[in-house]
Amino acid sequence: MHRPRLLSLGLSIVLIAVCRPARADSQALTARIDQYFAARWSTAGVEPAPIADDAEYLRRTYLDLAGRIPSVGELRVFLRDKSPERRQHLVERLLEQPRYVVHFTNVWRSRLLPEANANFQARFVVPGFEAWLRGQLDQNAGYDQIVRALLTAPVDVDPNQRNNPLGMQSEATPLGFYVAKEFKPENLAASTARIFLGVRVECAQCHNHPFASWKRDQFWSYAAFFSGIRAQNQGDFVTPAGENPEKKELTIPGTDRVVQARFLNGVEPKFKAKVSARTTLADWMTAADNPYFARAAVNRLWFYFFGTGLVEPVDDMIGSGSNSANAELLDELARAFAAEGFDLKSLIRAITASKPYQLSSAPHPGSKDDPHQFAHMAVRGLSAEQLFDSVAQATGYQEAAPANPNAFPGTNNSPRAEFLAKFANQGDRPAEAQTSILQALALMNGKLLADATTLERSETLAAVADAPFLSTEERIETLFLATLSRKPKPKELSRLVRHVESGGVDDNPNQALADVFWVLLNSGEFMVNH
Amino acid sequence: MHSSNSKLKTQNSELSRRDWLRLSAAGVVSYSLSGWLERLAAQSANDPARKRACIVLWMNGGPSQMDTWDLKPDHENGGALKEIQTAVPGIRISEHLPKLAKQMKKMAIIRSMSTKEADHGRASYLVHTGRLPGGPIQYPTLGSFVAKELQQPKAELPSFVSIAPYRFLSPAAYSPGFLGPQFAPLVVGEYTGDPGQDPGDYSDQALQVQDLDLAAGVNDKRAAVRVQLLDEMEQDFLSERPNAVSLSHRTAYQRAVTMMRSAAVKAFDLDQEPKELRDKYGRSLFGQGCLLARRLVERGVPFVEVTLSTAPGVNNGIGWDTHADNFETVQKLSAVLDPAWSTLMDDLQSRGLLDSTLIVWMGEFGRTPKLVADRNGRDHWASSWSTVLAGGGIQGGQVIGKTSDDGSEVKDRPVSIPDLLGTVGLALGLDITKQNISNVDRPIRLVEPTAQPIKELLA
Repeated sequence: MHRPRLLSLGLSIVLIAVCRPARADSQALTARIDQYFAARWSTAGVEPAPIADDAEYLRRTYLDLAGRIPSVGELRVFLRDKSPERRQHLVERLLEQPRYVVHFTNVWRSRLLPEANANFQARFVVPGFEAWLRGQLDQNAGYDQIVRALLTAPVDVDPNQRNNPLGMQSEATPLGFYVAKEFKPENLAASTARIFLGVRVECAQCHNHPFASWKRDQFWSYAAFFSGIRAQNQGDFVTPAGENPEKKELTIPGTDRVVQARFLNGVEPKFKAKVSARTTLADWMTAADNPYFARAAVNRLWFYFFGTGLVEPVDDMIGSGSNSANAELLDELARAFAAEGFDLKSLIRAITASKPYQLSSAPHPGSKDDPHQFAHMAVRGLSAEQLFDSVAQATGYQEAAPANPNAFPGTNNSPRAEFLAKFANQGDRPAEAQTSILQALALMNGKLLADATTLERSETLAAVADAPFLSTEERIETLFLATLSRKPKPKELSRLVRHVESGGVDDNPNQALADVFWVLLNSGEFMVNH
Repeated sequence: MHSSNSKLKTQNSELSRRDWLRLSAAGVVSYSLSGWLERLAAQSANDPARKRACIVLWMNGGPSQMDTWDLKPDHENGGALKEIQTAVPGIRISEHLPKLAKQMKKMAIIRSMSTKEADHGRASYLVHTGRLPGGPIQYPTLGSFVAKELQQPKAELPSFVSIAPYRFLSPAAYSPGFLGPQFAPLVVGEYTGDPGQDPGDYSDQALQVQDLDLAAGVNDKRAAVRVQLLDEMEQDFLSERPNAVSLSHRTAYQRAVTMMRSAAVKAFDLDQEPKELRDKYGRSLFGQGCLLARRLVERGVPFVEVTLSTAPGVNNGIGWDTHADNFETVQKLSAVLDPAWSTLMDDLQSRGLLDSTLIVWMGEFGRTPKLVADRNGRDHWASSWSTVLAGGGIQGGQVIGKTSDDGSEVKDRPVSIPDLLGTVGLALGLDITKQNISNVDRPIRLVEPTAQPIKELLA
């Protein structure tokens, strides 16, 4: 593997050695995806949606890779770009920006630490865990390397208490994963199987499930890889109490049955001297020929970009209820992903250049909606972070330094934190995201948008209203570009020009322009990624 | 005949978002939003079962059973507080709950709660959802479950209001989970843990709905024009791209606008109540919260949760967490609880609402029977503690279960959280075996199938 070694030699070599071949490989993958769906649509008699125009593609790609909508400037530049490779160049630029690291840290953290919402203890470890993730993504560590680091993180007693959840607020460490799972073998087993292997085994924790192939012994044998971990209660917190790295067996709770560590596929591990049980597990899990690992990773990433996995559900891929209509493509992509050294950026390049990703979200009229056909892009809800950062982008809002940077984590000490708490939708299916009444009220009447739509307090609105060289049409168009990342349609434009020029209810064109901005920011189109 | 008919109706009206997606995918339902809502409303109107309401009184931090409902005066674990006789011969409770003692005929104490979770966050989740946190399924909190079952589609107010919660310990314990934000609580008076905010502060402002009023500089007329423009502008997007996300957005906005314009929202205007009555409830966040709960139930809101976190002189957002100064703190909290709850029952009764309103008093766990002498406190304790059910659907004047002389074990009829929630569900007239499709596509019952509801509690 060239990647990890070369990274340490310096950026320029990495760019040449990694990016060039990766580009070629990702192009081959893109071609394969396109070929697969062309055949699929033809067989099923499905008419795919047209290719999205540049504005729709730009907005989608920004939200997916940078976690916010594009600025008016970025949009105008892109719309002027006539190079045939402008979309690939765009993705390349976004992947090199710090926003990619920040945004994907959010994406991975919410996937790996869902407990942060259910339990305050887990919330303390979020900053340290995010810092660790940022470091991994910043150096584009292979997905196998990231998971390996997580699975083998030392669970030691730390005399300096940095292992304590309170210490994890400042220290970059993957150990928060273990805190969130309470250091329990069964919790670690269930989450790692679900997240990294796409296999849901926890029903087998208590009994042999009648509908699934997993048996209780299988679950606990897998959990036995984590059996050496010891934890202790310190006040309100659970902290590590060391590990017996050689321990490879556990007693199924409530029984006197002892099981030995076994991989999920039932294979007995070949343990080596001085190699810990968790390292042995990581070796097996992240091996290029593991039947689940690369498949689950590619499927998750596909789900992220489309709102539907190639195989569904993404965390129960081999269960009896799974839909594996596109398993053939998934297998191919997974093999390529593993062969490429689990390079996440390379896979992202392949997906974002593919035809299904480039399709418009407006389906071909009259077509039946089957998400597994990927015949149009899904309309997906935004995460709380995406929504806030997009509002900030559209309105020119800038967050002041937090009033109390040392406040308890999870307490609302900034407008952003308050917003994130209110919009923390728990749903894990963005294509089915819902809005609550309190959220609607916050957007309609809350301070953030009220300021943004008040002339004296709004960066964007003031700039648009005050520019002496703009016509009413141009002012409205600029507000469309700033919010919906597209130009208004003729019908929309004429309706809104009428409203602005009539002066609205106060007979004041600037106030009427504020109404337009309010409408755009509150529209369903603004609040989705399509 | 009649009952089977109404059951069928209920099933038809349960058009879940997933069903809706499937139907729309198959082209069975049109994308006309208004038509769909109208149909739903017509199906579930006039259902005789849709009258009951539930008020949960949530005791944040884990209240001491040994100093409220299950005193042990003859044992060294008993401590400083004394027992008094109640209106029901043989039932004795804390001397600091004298007004409630007079109403014991309406109340039933469960002294044999027995759970295994003694961490605030996890136990809050367990008691609110009936399940332990950690798995992939995002379970809804009790209020969201009940709201979904008892909501009236044409209601102008949300079906679930949470008053003065302190969600820091476990936000998910107050979340609609897989039922989605449509069933999220409308939260008022939240304690956010902001260091500048004293949880004991009370002002009428605290119980107002956030962001309900138009922003400064926007009058009714202008707001109406904006909403009208928004409605026009949105139609194209939704018809070109029929999708569940935008549809939910539109529905939420319509409901928010309805609420802003409704007369029912006056429920939050406590100034409409006589001063004497407000004083009787107590001028605390909890006391006025109980009054607000009555006003909401009166206007058809089926589920209200009121949290008691603190009291004057208790400098803590999780007041019942009495690791130190247990007796003083419980006494102060009881002084807030007793007038508020007893007035609530009187008030509901005088309006003919008590028979249809179930009141549930509970916290996340109890406290150690054995005193921690050096700090005069009691620690977390899950294996033997108390809850109380009162009002509608409950056979009052009785005690369920029994603890040992020292309070440390349940001696009779151990009650689990599913048992408790199952009892609550039955008292509200719900079908507790009903299943909803979860976020992992698995059907999930309202209450775990292991639940053994306490039949003798039901009226």
